[in-house]
Amino acid sequence: MKLFNLTKTTEAGEKNDEGRRGFLQKLGLGALLTSLAGVAYQSFRSLIPNVLYEPDQRFKLGLPANLPEGITFLDDRRLYVFKEGKSFYAISGACTHLGCTVKYAKLAQPRTVEVNGTQATIGFEFHCPCHGSKFTSDGTNYAGPAPRPLHWYRLELSPDDGQLIADLGQEVDQGFRLTV
Amino acid sequence: MHMTETARRMWKKLTWTWSPGSEKEAGDAVVKNMLLHWFPNKVSISSMSWSYSMWLGTVSFVLFLILCGTGLVLMFLYVPSVERAYSSVKDIEFVVSFGWLLRSMHRISAHLMVASVFLHMVRVFLTGAYKNGTAAGANRPLNWIVGLTLLVLTLLLSFTGYLLPWDQLAYWAITVGTNIARSAPVVGEWMRFVLLGGTTIDQGTLIRFYVLHVFFLPVIVLFLFAYHMWRVRKDGGLAVVDKEDLNRTAVPADPVKSKTYSLLGITNGTSVHVQTKVVEDESTTVTSSPHLLRRILLVSLLTFAVVVLLSVVFPAPLEAPANPSVTPNPAKAPWYFLWLQEIVTVTTVTIGSFTINGALIGGILLPGALLALAVWWPYRDKSGPGSVGVWLSPERKRQNMVFIVICVVILLFTVVGTFLRGPYWNLYWPWESWPDMPVKF
Repeated sequence: MKLFNLTKTTEAGEKNDEGRRGFLQKLGLGALLTSLAGVAYQSFRSLIPNVLYEPDQRFKLGLPANLPEGITFLDDRRLYVFKEGKSFYAISGACTHLGCTVKYAKLAQPRTVEVNGTQATIGFEFHCPCHGSKFTSDGTNYAGPAPRPLHWYRLELSPDDGQLIADLGQEVDQGFRLTV
Repeated sequence: MHMTETARRMWKKLTWTWSPGSEKEAGDAVVKNMLLHWFPNKVSISSMSWSYSMWLGTVSFVLFLILCGTGLVLMFLYVPSVERAYSSVKDIEFVVSFGWLLRSMHRISAHLMVASVFLHMVRVFLTGAYKNGTAAGANRPLNWIVGLTLLVLTLLLSFTGYLLPWDQLAYWAITVGTNIARSAPVVGEWMRFVLLGGTTIDQGTLIRFYVLHVFFLPVIVLFLFAYHMWRVRKDGGLAVVDKEDLNRTAVPADPVKSKTYSLLGITNGTSVHVQTKVVEDESTTVTSSPHLLRRILLVSLLTFAVVVLLSVVFPAPLEAPANPSVTPNPAKAPWYFLWLQEIVTVTTVTIGSFTINGALIGGILLPGALLALAVWWPYRDKSGPGSVGVWLSPERKRQNMVFIVICVVILLFTVVGTFLRGPYWNLYWPWESWPDMPVKF
């Protein structure tokens, strides 16, 4: 009887032992996988930049008076800036399809298009060299794969020195004009 | 004479632990020799046929090796920084001895590899070689998927290499390519940000593409290639062997336990059995060494010769340094993506006031759907065992037609994009001259 009990105790102990062993195994494996996942996340996260050393979205263009009448293209910002007498506006040069720089194309013969319900005669257009999208002079897409009109960006006057400021972070409607 | 004898002995010492004294021992030797162990002991004559496989897989791997070799040297000469990348490539082209040849070979091999991997896939499809034959434990559909992954990796390798010269061609191809990633719904903007390491193509992008190109992607290709080859062996060799096997069953013959291996000499007795009807048949098989080896070396030599010849005839171009403010007109993606560029041009869809960017349909959804279709195809192909390992089997006529039509459309678009597209993506015949375009307005 005593012997039987002893055996039983041992069996139970073994069972406990196995349970313990299994638990520790799972714990170990879990810890390993968790730490691996942690390292994987860490490695990947380190590749997402926290600071961008890119040019500021807001920048000065100089005094309004110094800007030539008509259209000016700012190379490094890919921005078309327009001066019509006292009013100013800016249209992005990045095609809304796949981001190529659209080119100013002077039309041999001015044509009449409907813009926002009114007829307007335009002397130039924007053409994209990559996939042939075409935009009227106000940036409205009318041919090719571009899904949206070219972006318009806010222009404002700097309060300190009166220079024009373009803000590529702020989109505005096509009717936008800055009057100086 | 003495020198060659010494060299022979040195070679033997390095690669053999023991050398054979009889035919049987020579057979065993194959298992013991490091180089010969890559191949099966014997190989069926039909699977070495030129017209069946056209050796396109071997060609692809030889091209990969040439790319590794030339790429390794180029890594010593190239500087992955925005300020110096272009001038270092220019130096490779015009200053470094044979630099132009290295760069040209690297470029030509990359183009040829895209072509050969694609043609390899076409061959496998048209011969029904993704279908399981008689071998036990075969899983050819899985190997087909591994192959598709290798095709995608080949394209990615080529694409990441495209940016490295940091010239106009590089800059704008990557602009178009990464903007396609941006058009993916929800995660697109974030994906492009991670890929570029910022919002514009700059130093962060260059170093990312560089590391992907010279380490990350090639290592994945090597591992997958090893698995691809291992699967070929485990799936019973090339599919044409199954075809042969099928024909043979007309003459009744029991499968023989042809070979018994002990597990690398560790276990006692015969633990691993190889059962096949083909291996022992003297009339249909030859020893891998030298027959298979000789053919592989011949294919390697021919591939190498073609690469060198083409490299001399078509030197690698280098355009003006990358200039974010001037888009070349026309701006073209690499040729193997031009069919996609053709499609993104025509797939912008407007439904009412809602417009879907062509880049999403043509750049992501359509190629994604084609890839998914290719992955799924072997599992729906219910043709009989008679169409395994046969070119253009009548039983698979309809699916072969569909596949060929898709391939032809892709090739047609590629040709149109490559040769017929001019400024503003207008169509021009090759003999028509393009109008003069102002670089700026």
